[in-house]
Amino acid sequence: MLKKTVWKSLALAAVLSLSIGITAPASHAGSQTIQVYISADTNIQDLWVKTLVPAFKAANPGYDVNVTFDLHGDHDAQETAKITAAAVLHKDPGVDLIDGGFVTTLGAAGLLYRPTAGLLPNIKDVNRTVLAAGKGGIPYRGSSVLLAYNTTNVPTPPKTLDELLAWIKAHPGKFTYNAPSGGGSGYSFVQTVVDKYLSNADRATLVQQAAPDLESKWSQGLETLRQLNAYTYGQNGTYPANNAETLKDLATGLVDMGTVWSDQFSSALKAGTMPANIKVAQISNPSLTGGASYLGIPSSSTNRTAARILANWVLSPAAQNLIVSGTLNGFPVIPLNKLDPKATAAFTGVDIQNLRAGYLSANANDLKSKWASTVPGK
Amino acid sequence: MISLRSKNKEEGSRAVTRARPSFLGLALSLPPLLLVLIFVGLPIFIGFTFSLGFTKGPNRIISIIGQQIHVKNHWWGTFAAYSDVFHDSRFLGDLGLTLFVTVLSTVLVILMGLAISIYQRLIRSKQASVLVTLAIIPLFVPVVISAWAIHTFYGGDGFLRSFFAQFGISFPTLTSTASAIVIGSIWTSLPFAILMISSGMQGIPDALIDAAKDCGAPVARIIGHILIPLAKTPIIIAASFTAIGILGSFTIPLFLGPNQPTMLGVEISNFFGSYNRPQQSLVMAFIVFLAASGIAILYVWSNIKSAKESGRI
Repeated sequence: MLKKTVWKSLALAAVLSLSIGITAPASHAGSQTIQVYISADTNIQDLWVKTLVPAFKAANPGYDVNVTFDLHGDHDAQETAKITAAAVLHKDPGVDLIDGGFVTTLGAAGLLYRPTAGLLPNIKDVNRTVLAAGKGGIPYRGSSVLLAYNTTNVPTPPKTLDELLAWIKAHPGKFTYNAPSGGGSGYSFVQTVVDKYLSNADRATLVQQAAPDLESKWSQGLETLRQLNAYTYGQNGTYPANNAETLKDLATGLVDMGTVWSDQFSSALKAGTMPANIKVAQISNPSLTGGASYLGIPSSSTNRTAARILANWVLSPAAQNLIVSGTLNGFPVIPLNKLDPKATAAFTGVDIQNLRAGYLSANANDLKSKWASTVPGK
Repeated sequence: MISLRSKNKEEGSRAVTRARPSFLGLALSLPPLLLVLIFVGLPIFIGFTFSLGFTKGPNRIISIIGQQIHVKNHWWGTFAAYSDVFHDSRFLGDLGLTLFVTVLSTVLVILMGLAISIYQRLIRSKQASVLVTLAIIPLFVPVVISAWAIHTFYGGDGFLRSFFAQFGISFPTLTSTASAIVIGSIWTSLPFAILMISSGMQGIPDALIDAAKDCGAPVARIIGHILIPLAKTPIIIAASFTAIGILGSFTIPLFLGPNQPTMLGVEISNFFGSYNRPQQSLVMAFIVFLAASGIAILYVWSNIKSAKESGRI
């Protein structure tokens, strides 16, 4: 008798311990809590947690927003897999609104809720081409990679990519860009140098669709980058691991020039971690890349109505003012005349409406891989 | 047997019965065993089939998303992803660096661990204990913090370079080199090795050392013939744990190493995330897994040996 009870309780224990690992989180269908997933750097986390979410809750009483943050998009692949799997299985992915680089990938795969003016009234103010490029993503802010330079040592910065390359060779050890796999600012420099040798048609193709056939045309640009190994910081073909390290190298005076994200640079300037003698400028022919950041509402989300209300609010002038004037200094996606003139004063000199787009993620992944096998340490 | 039993009875204790193979014991160990099988064993098996090009079933989703996916063309799969990895110009450099850093760091960690433990065992002073306590402190510092600290110490604008610059000496920048990975690995691995080895040394009876001293044995002989052989098992355990830890390290090589070649832990993450090549990253993971298994066999062998010596099995 005793033995039987022991067996039963053991079986129960086994089942319980297994089920703890398997039990799926409870569905939140129709709830007023919007699950926001952010895959970005900490400045974007601050934008949502400290600025947008409190303002949204004040403007829309009754709604709550729960933010999940993934630093540098380390889990983009897993999250993409989770949302794809949820769509295939017709299950709620547990995420209602996504802010991250993989939104356009999801959009291209047809996994996003398509934004239309009927469902998102504020979208009428957003640039059509930028909206179309999102493939279902909702553009909500812009940023660009810029050339940062130390005004003490570089009174007049290079105006074109050719001038920049000449400057780098004339000043060994004074320029750097981070490894493309570690952050977008370094990636932008790599794509810009590679694009220098491509026709406009090829560039456009690489932005819009997966084009493995065009990748052989990168070799000339990659060779140019390899030759820079002897002239970039360290002069031994090593590069900073991520965006933050490039900013640190500029701030401490290790380098005089580097490529940086406009928003991260402005945030650092405001926070005082970037000295005032570092300034930014755009180069031309070709220019460094930039573009919109997109929000995505997974089509399988059961709470997409609430997510739409949040997305629509983010496109309102009130929210766009917060994005422009807060610590982020993002570019707005609606016309400047709808915004507070004081907040937009900082944009004189930078053309924020015509940003050169980065490659489609599949091509970008290949470029990162090719860079790693041909440039550093070679 | 009978006499033993009666002796026990005489002493008032209960009869000792031989342990029968019990299903209860098996059942008690079953839940954790099942957990390991289902949550560790099964994913490894599924991952292995994916690396061989099985893209259906549990591998369907990742096959939709990943790039450069090879689909099996034989009933057993395909080695195309393995061939990709072995023909990638990065891989041999990465493997070489990983093995070089693992072997060099492990040897240095064990040598330093031995030196400190032997010092503490032979010279039982307050200073020696303080030294061991100090050496264990890095155990309580998170790896990411220590990696950043080492980065700022040896970096281009770091303490060492700033210090030497005061005297007009240009000290080399060690960050972004294999040396920095070795320094970081030693920093993070040494405390555990010292804990293991010094506790092994503490268990050696004074009588043995005193007897050797009385016979006039020099210190070198005491170390080589008594201390090290008697602490062999903890030394092997420390070495295998250190080697496996360094083999799979990520934070230290990411922060302190060069972009390329890099250690396999970082390269696996690059292939999985940045380059979106899950199949190739799995292949590399299995290669690291194989190397770690080799070290694990050493560990198991040493455990069994010590259990036999002490009569436990």
